[in-house]
Amino acid sequence: MKTIITIVRKEFQQILRDKGMLRMIVAVPIIQLFIFAYAVTTDLKNVKLAYVDHDRTSESRQLVDAFFTSGYFTSVGMAENQTKLMSWLMEGKADITLNIPIGYAEGIVRGNVSDVGLIVDGQNSSLSGRGRGYAEAIIRTEAAKLMENKRLEHPELETKMHRIVPVTRYYYNPELESKKYMVPAIVVLLISIISGMLTGMAVVKEKEVGTLEQLMVTPITPMQFIAGKTIPFIFIAFFELAFASLIAIFFFKIPFEGSVLLMIAAAILYLQVTLGAGLLASTVSQIQQQAMFTVWFFLLFGILMSGFFYPVENMPKWIYMLTYLNPVRHFMEIMRGIFLKGVTFSDIIPQFALLFGLGTLIFGTAVIKFRKMND
Amino acid sequence: MTLNHSHSSNLAVVAKDLTRCFGNFTAVDNLQLEVSRGEIFGFLGANGAGKTTAIRMFCGLLKPTSGEAWVDGLPISRDSEKIKRRIGYMSQRFSLYDDLLIEENANFFGGVYGLSKKEIELRIAEQFERLGLTKQKRTLTSELPLGFKQRLALACAMMHRPRLLFLDEPTGGVDPIARREFWDLIYETAEDGATVFVTTHYMDEAEYCSRVSIMKDGKIVALGVPAELKRKHGTQTMEDLFLKLVGVSGESGESVE
Repeated sequence: MKTIITIVRKEFQQILRDKGMLRMIVAVPIIQLFIFAYAVTTDLKNVKLAYVDHDRTSESRQLVDAFFTSGYFTSVGMAENQTKLMSWLMEGKADITLNIPIGYAEGIVRGNVSDVGLIVDGQNSSLSGRGRGYAEAIIRTEAAKLMENKRLEHPELETKMHRIVPVTRYYYNPELESKKYMVPAIVVLLISIISGMLTGMAVVKEKEVGTLEQLMVTPITPMQFIAGKTIPFIFIAFFELAFASLIAIFFFKIPFEGSVLLMIAAAILYLQVTLGAGLLASTVSQIQQQAMFTVWFFLLFGILMSGFFYPVENMPKWIYMLTYLNPVRHFMEIMRGIFLKGVTFSDIIPQFALLFGLGTLIFGTAVIKFRKMND
Repeated sequence: MTLNHSHSSNLAVVAKDLTRCFGNFTAVDNLQLEVSRGEIFGFLGANGAGKTTAIRMFCGLLKPTSGEAWVDGLPISRDSEKIKRRIGYMSQRFSLYDDLLIEENANFFGGVYGLSKKEIELRIAEQFERLGLTKQKRTLTSELPLGFKQRLALACAMMHRPRLLFLDEPTGGVDPIARREFWDLIYETAEDGATVFVTTHYMDEAEYCSRVSIMKDGKIVALGVPAELKRKHGTQTMEDLFLKLVGVSGESGESVE
């Protein structure tokens, strides 16, 4: 025990003296959180809309206003005819065009919605799909509003105008803000990188400069060495977790619905994975860069197949099955669940069990390989 | 196993048929060796002769392919953990932490060998005084000149007062004055009762040893007191002796016209 403390203390002395390391520990989380949270947004904003208004009534103008006050669309301008509209779409000046036909207001008064023409640039499927959805919703809402007014004016038309408007509601992230979904995932990314890479690099550094050999002629056992080398990074990972979570909660206003204790428990299981990966990388690497790239290589797979960007459910079946073996996926699900849904332990027992199993496997293999290396 | 060497309480290192192979290559070939306590034993040989491999086996860093060796009376095949507590080791590569203060390095190695805080303080004070490091206590190790780094490495290897010190080319790359000073330290250490087992490339250093062995291709080709060896082979200096025994097929052989 005393030996382990000696190693841990030495490790902290080195870390605190290393300006680059300190920068990495403090600056990387901030930079990543901000860049990812803002850049990897899948929210719809600033869709370029061009329109032509043949109706020229107050109702048609209301519809146009509704688009631009929604916050999702920016105006490219009003065209004089459909041809002009099409050319703007072709040139890429507009993403979506709106054509309000003559008789739009009349039609609503008569109780039916005339055909409002929407043409969508389909090159970017996610933008066009959701852009269209938003546009249709605005048109429907406007129509409903107008009809409601008419109904109040002419109660006798009541039965004729009765319609059912479907409403979809999203739970947990009601505004479907990608930020809320992304930020907890970035916290996962962060502690993976910090704990995995730094551990790998710190162990290989000893190999690189020859101190590992010096330690092997001292009474330090491989287990003491592993403990001494990984414990500092457990502290740092938790510092990172707390730091990033606080930014997430207080700056990005991400809800934190779940239990801190559950998060800590999950993080401990997950650290087995990342520290094990770092240690494994160190057994096959001779220099720090090698260790860094080895960790990064596996981490990249883990992240891509974790549901970080794309839901794992959308992947081909056999890849989807493989993601069960991906510890990053389970931790990602746990973290998103704790932040956004307030899951309790009983909700995530399978993820916990898999994380525990995979973590033990990875860390165990790392320890065995490390001991063999020093034989 | 101890029967042969139960009488050997005054032997610091014993090797019997010690062999180590790497694939087809036999780095150490049936090595026989006895080193007495308190000796400064020079372990000489050209590059690749097997010196470092032998030392690494004595220190428990490598397992022998066959044969056995005893360090401080303990067999290396079974007691390498106990041996590690009794020896100090300084490798040919400077292997302390460059990013620690020199005091922190000494502290760390003291801790690793299980010394108490008080013992460490005491050891640092007396060792640093002896090695002339006291003034630089709070210096970053990377800022020390190589000669001082080697003194620090020696200090760290001796924090736990080992009975046996293995020095693998401790003076490589150091200027003659620093080498001379380092050897004064080695003498002092031996006078305090420790055995020093040292490899070197510098033949003038070999003259300072109480006994030397010369290794070639994994085998010892000469063993004895420097003066006697020179007389026996009819050479003036250790350098000539070394060239005579090793040089022809060794690294220096290439440049021979």
